[in-house]
Amino acid sequence: MVEKKEEDNTQKISTLLEDLLLLERYIKDLFTFFPLPVCFVSPLGVIFEVNPAFEKAIGYTSYEIVGRPIENFFEKEKMEAMTKEILKSGNIEAREISFFAKEGKKINVSVFGQTRKNEQGETTGFFLGFFDLTNIKKTESDLQNTQIALLNMLEDIEESRKRAEEEKNKTEAIISNFTDGILVFNESNKISLVNPQAEKFFGVSNKSMAGKSILELSVFPELEPIVNLVGTEIKGISRKELSIRDSLILEVSSIPILKEEEKIGSLIIIHDITREKMIEKMKTEFVSLAAHQLRTPLSAIKWTLRMLLDGDLGEITSEQRDFIEKTYVSNERMITLINDLLNVTRIEEGRYLYKPVSSDIAPIIQFVINSYKDEYARKKIKLDFEAPKKPLPKVSIDVEKIKLAIQNFLDNALKYTPAGGEVSIFLKNISIKKEIQLGVKDNGVGVPKNQQDRMFNKFFRAANVLGIDTEGSGLGLFITKNIIEAHGGKIWFESEEGKGSTFYFSLPAKEEFTEFLEEF
Amino acid sequence: MGEEINEEIVKELMKIKGEARGVHLKNDGDFVLKEKGKEGIEKLERELEKLGCPIKYGEINQFDFYPAGMRIVSLLAIKKTFGWPNEKIEELGTYAMQVSWIIKLFAKYFFSIERTFKEASKIWSKYFTIGEIEVGDYDLSKKYAVLKLKNFNLHPVYCRCLKGVLLGVVRMIVKSEEITCEETECFFRKGNDHKFLIKW
Repeated sequence: MVEKKEEDNTQKISTLLEDLLLLERYIKDLFTFFPLPVCFVSPLGVIFEVNPAFEKAIGYTSYEIVGRPIENFFEKEKMEAMTKEILKSGNIEAREISFFAKEGKKINVSVFGQTRKNEQGETTGFFLGFFDLTNIKKTESDLQNTQIALLNMLEDIEESRKRAEEEKNKTEAIISNFTDGILVFNESNKISLVNPQAEKFFGVSNKSMAGKSILELSVFPELEPIVNLVGTEIKGISRKELSIRDSLILEVSSIPILKEEEKIGSLIIIHDITREKMIEKMKTEFVSLAAHQLRTPLSAIKWTLRMLLDGDLGEITSEQRDFIEKTYVSNERMITLINDLLNVTRIEEGRYLYKPVSSDIAPIIQFVINSYKDEYARKKIKLDFEAPKKPLPKVSIDVEKIKLAIQNFLDNALKYTPAGGEVSIFLKNISIKKEIQLGVKDNGVGVPKNQQDRMFNKFFRAANVLGIDTEGSGLGLFITKNIIEAHGGKIWFESEEGKGSTFYFSLPAKEEFTEFLEEF
Repeated sequence: MGEEINEEIVKELMKIKGEARGVHLKNDGDFVLKEKGKEGIEKLERELEKLGCPIKYGEINQFDFYPAGMRIVSLLAIKKTFGWPNEKIEELGTYAMQVSWIIKLFAKYFFSIERTFKEASKIWSKYFTIGEIEVGDYDLSKKYAVLKLKNFNLHPVYCRCLKGVLLGVVRMIVKSEEITCEETECFFRKGNDHKFLIKW
């Protein structure tokens, strides 16, 4: 009976031991699996136990950790305060602290603590669980940095916005106070801006023009001239004059607004040139009046001198003849100058109309050359004209005006080519362009490069010829240019100072069929 | 008593009355595994087999009781197999206190020195069925204590192991970087009992 009881007890103990072992293994497996670092610490602050996650996080083995004070591995003051708080309150939650891993790395963690008590209710230590905040802190730091960067960007944007606003206000103030009228059309060719001066010019308010296309603007009679002038679509840069009424003459410039070669709108600038035009008109009228008033007595002087020279008023001595001839030449020069001035005033008044006749230009050129032969010979300048071998197409010209143009070319070549020089004249049919081209080439003084763009300006004379010929008026090339352009032709030149110049003009050739029709 | 071991000595040791918890043997195995790896354990187990006391460390139930002599056989076999000095046996004792699972059962007493000393006898009885431990003279202000071990005269090798164990225990209950433990009296050195002086 006793033996049986002992056997039963042995069996029970064996079962209990087996269960205890299984329980220990289960707890160990759980402890090993637990992914968060956990440790158990004595009330004195000595580490009793750590799980593998704690070993991994801190980089020490349990053998190196157990039996060591907890503050050896954490921020000392914080851990001491935390220990006191746990022992006092029984637990803590989500407190931040840093621990020092073996390689010296400081790791931020969130700590959870819970005391353990024995059967008598005495605190035997406390568990600490840690949550690694490294990634959260990094994300937090990244977010903070991003926030700072965004705030900086917002500040920059606000700053830029303010600057842009200031610039806009400044630009608007400039546009509003601009003495010229301004119309801005957007990429859809509709009005996006009208400044007060433009409103004043046309007597139409900004409100009634806003958002309207050029075509739509034609409903305002006041704007009709500008619509007709600019057209229904603004293309390229152009500058035109517009007479709105007697007391208002405007210069209208249209300019495309480009952004990286793409047209994003058009700008029309309207400049009041009434005053300039009035002054110009008065000046032209004065010159015209003065020239007319001067020409009559000069003509009378000319004929009187001619009569004296021809002996119609009696015999004169050779000394008297010499003086009278010099006076006659000077008078002729004066008449030429007066004629030039009259031509200029006619050009400026728009009265320099030409009378076109279908003509063969070659004989005309030959005629002018012949009239210069003696003068060229006197100055010992070789004058060549290579007439075209084939007959040229006819040109529609005012013969007298074209003669004057050729004369001006030959006159300049004669004046500014030194004795012994050469002047050659060529005439070409540029069939591909349907034009006749004349060139007068000399090996004279040439035109300084920095003055070439002013050669066709009124009264302009190049600096290097002022000493050579003191009598030139500076009107010849201006008149020639106006003659050629009035014929629909072009004028230009090539020159090198000290080597010579070649002056060209071209005239449109008449179509043979048109000629046929005219003759028919 | 020397530290040599052979089959005869093993037989004598196995005759000692009394039992020890399997946790001792398990801790021996864990320490060897840490220091020498799996091959070390296999080598040790082969040596024990030759000595006629086969121990399979992986199969030890740490909560069960085993012959007290087997505890000594394990230590002597470890010393012989790996040629370890006594200091290494002390280290083994300290390691056992730090990682042993069963020690956690006693952690509830380690919250103060006084409480640990008070419960020392109870703690000992959970490890061995023979011998008694008692706390002699101690002064917390002077930071020392004397522990006496009576009626536990198995083998001098265990004195070295126990020295390490006591160091490990004190490390758990006091915060000090300079803890020392010396056996000031030993049964095997003509003493009546074993006395250990612990300072911290």
